[in-house]
Amino acid sequence: MLSTTLEVAAVGLSWGYEPAWDTLIYAVNTLVLAAVGALVASRQPLNPIGWLVLGAGVFSSFTDLAQGWAMRGWPGADVAETIANTSTIPLAAATVICLLLFPSGTLMAPAWRAVGAAGVLGAAFAVPTFVLAPEAGSYFLDGVNPYAANGPAWWGLYVAAMAVLLGSFVLSVVALGLRFRRSVGDERQQMKWLALAAGIAAVVMPAGALLWNTVPAVRIAVAVAATLMPVAMGAGILRYRLYDIDLAISRTVVYATITALLTATYAIVAVTVGAVGGRGSIWATAVVTLIAGVGARPLRDRLQRLVDRRFNRSRYEATERVNTFLEELRAGRAAPEGIEKVLREAVGDPALALGFRLPGTDTYVHLDGHPMPADCEHLPIRLDGEEVGIVALGSAASRSRLPELLTLAGLSLEIVRLRVELRRQLDEVAASRARIALAADEERHRIERDLHDGHQQRLVSIGLSLRHAQHALDGTAPGAHALIQRAVDEITQSIEDLRELARGLRPAQLDAGLTPALRELARRAPLPVQVHSSTARFSPEIEAAAYYTACEGVTNAVKHSGASQVSLHTRCDQGRLVLLVNDNGVGGAALGTGTGLTGLQDRVKAHGGTLEIISPRGQGTTLRAVFPCAS
Amino acid sequence: MRVLIAEDQALLREGLGMLFENAGHQVVALLADAEDIPAVVDAERPDLVILDIRMPPTFTDEGVRAARTIKTDHPETAVLVLSQHIETTHAVSLVALGGFGYLLKDRVLEVDEFLATAERVAAGGSALDPEVVASLVTPSGAGPLSRLTGREREVLELMAQGQTNAAIAARLVITERTVEAHVGRIMAKLDITDATGHRRVLAVLKYLREAEAASG
Repeated sequence: MLSTTLEVAAVGLSWGYEPAWDTLIYAVNTLVLAAVGALVASRQPLNPIGWLVLGAGVFSSFTDLAQGWAMRGWPGADVAETIANTSTIPLAAATVICLLLFPSGTLMAPAWRAVGAAGVLGAAFAVPTFVLAPEAGSYFLDGVNPYAANGPAWWGLYVAAMAVLLGSFVLSVVALGLRFRRSVGDERQQMKWLALAAGIAAVVMPAGALLWNTVPAVRIAVAVAATLMPVAMGAGILRYRLYDIDLAISRTVVYATITALLTATYAIVAVTVGAVGGRGSIWATAVVTLIAGVGARPLRDRLQRLVDRRFNRSRYEATERVNTFLEELRAGRAAPEGIEKVLREAVGDPALALGFRLPGTDTYVHLDGHPMPADCEHLPIRLDGEEVGIVALGSAASRSRLPELLTLAGLSLEIVRLRVELRRQLDEVAASRARIALAADEERHRIERDLHDGHQQRLVSIGLSLRHAQHALDGTAPGAHALIQRAVDEITQSIEDLRELARGLRPAQLDAGLTPALRELARRAPLPVQVHSSTARFSPEIEAAAYYTACEGVTNAVKHSGASQVSLHTRCDQGRLVLLVNDNGVGGAALGTGTGLTGLQDRVKAHGGTLEIISPRGQGTTLRAVFPCAS
Repeated sequence: MRVLIAEDQALLREGLGMLFENAGHQVVALLADAEDIPAVVDAERPDLVILDIRMPPTFTDEGVRAARTIKTDHPETAVLVLSQHIETTHAVSLVALGGFGYLLKDRVLEVDEFLATAERVAAGGSALDPEVVASLVTPSGAGPLSRLTGREREVLELMAQGQTNAAIAARLVITERTVEAHVGRIMAKLDITDATGHRRVLAVLKYLREAEAASG
């Protein structure tokens, strides 16, 4: 608050006495210093950096006010101007201390205290010597130092003190460099924030110094670069978006390089084309624009990779890992599901897992189709703005690098998602087919029971009643007697027909097992059928399915193959039921030739089995059906 | 003789009861489900129990299980199981106990033959439905059964059904002496050592079952 008030006053005072941007930029700079300082101090009161930066901001606003006062020429202008002119010295000392303490607020080792002391001492000597030295007059508006005094060589002492201060500054930068090299993990990320700002300053400051008078705009750049330093410090200390700094650094380097290259290209082309087409030629501009337009994107990508390779090894490797995988995928050497493992390795998070949302639900499933809890730490996978899945994270550290990798791997993720969805749908289809087959079997069983226990029984009891009626007549009405006899014969025939019908639906022998049912089948076949059957039992559904398969096989042999003999084999192989139907007919049978084999295959598959037809022309036909045991 | 009838369908149950009573037998109980059978058999000691193979509560093989219980607890009590369909496994294993019959239900419509069979079973004989026997004697492959002539196979089937030589002779309209000659040749071809009466049925069934097992 104090700083803001002072600064508003300072801006008011300075207004009109120097370029407006100059006034405003330094005001902003000061306010940023004070704001960052206040923020850090409030969040981390024990960290002296916050208080130092806040102090620097307040001090700076005070000196800005002093400068404005001096420019107004109001009473005490001399004092004010002296204060303004010496203000940078304590600020330099404060900078030294900040650099020594960043980011933890403590020294790397007690020995570094000497560097800080040297900076403070240098500043303490530099201020009075500057004030007393007549040579300092050139810094004042009227060219005269109002407090100049004769005596020792004040200016010489001032230069010496400043040298000490500068030395301590250099050492503090060295300290920072050492700290950076030793840092790991979060501290390294914190340091990188400052390194980025320092890097920008390192480029902008010398350029500013060179072009200070020729290109006034660089003064703004210098001021902005200077403002970035406290901001970067604050961000580092407060751990703001700690892991985005890598991206920020690499992007900064890339765009700075692109700018430099394009500028250089422009210069070369402008000179070359300009030499041919004349100065300011429209062609020069057009050609340069064309080159910039065509070259910018590929140049950017190439530079990005170069920069990552050099400055951001882990990002480079992660991106390369995903790119390599995508190439393998395109070449058909990798399954898309491999992307999960690749992402795990790329971000070093073995607990990372992909989950895809089932359409129309809030359920997420793993790659294997099993449900996945969504209450863990996760990032969304988006397709056209819609969340289609999530990446569950094992550690928060992988969060920052993932979005970029997810974008890169987008197509493979979509393929995986579709495949998961497809597999799930197929599973559902298989399950519903099995349910339908089971329901059909149960229905057959039910109808068979109905026929046997209901209608057949009723016919027997009706027949028996007729017999009793016949008995009661006791030969008194020979005509009625004969009629009843005919009715009973009809009933007997109907019962026989019903039994035949029921057997076709589901032979009762199946209750006793597959082997008795197959024997019954063989007995009723119109041609010799050999049965070689294992006595092992399977689930009723599987036995029924195998029985119907055998029926269909025998029927096919009778109808189409012209066989004179059929054999049925069953055996139990590793818990699976293997059924072979073999005939010595003409062969040449195949699925989908209207022989009922396609329907048979559907039936076998509905029970999770497989059907194979081996039927070389002229060498008979073998059906081989394999059923799983667990069902 | 004293007869117990267990059949869940009321009309058929009553009809069967009347059938036996009209033939001069005593019906000691008419039961609608299988659960009461052991207790009533214990109390009434019938000569013959007529059982439906499918009865409440599960309508699967209550009759067979009740038959086994009866033959275990009271071996002298004869059991005649009536079934709606052909079934070999239980039927053949129970016939081997003697005093047991297994017939398709519609055989009751041939009243005289049915009563004769019931009496034969009650007297300790055996009865196996012709359909069941047929499914046993169908030759598969080149076994000894395929060496039998058509007439010999007919005689074998009747033997397996539990018929006596006299009954076989009457059925086939041949003399008993001819039947005896056929039986002798059948026994020789199948290599069954001489046996008579109920033992003969057992020997034939044992042979048929072994033949069946051997082809599996």
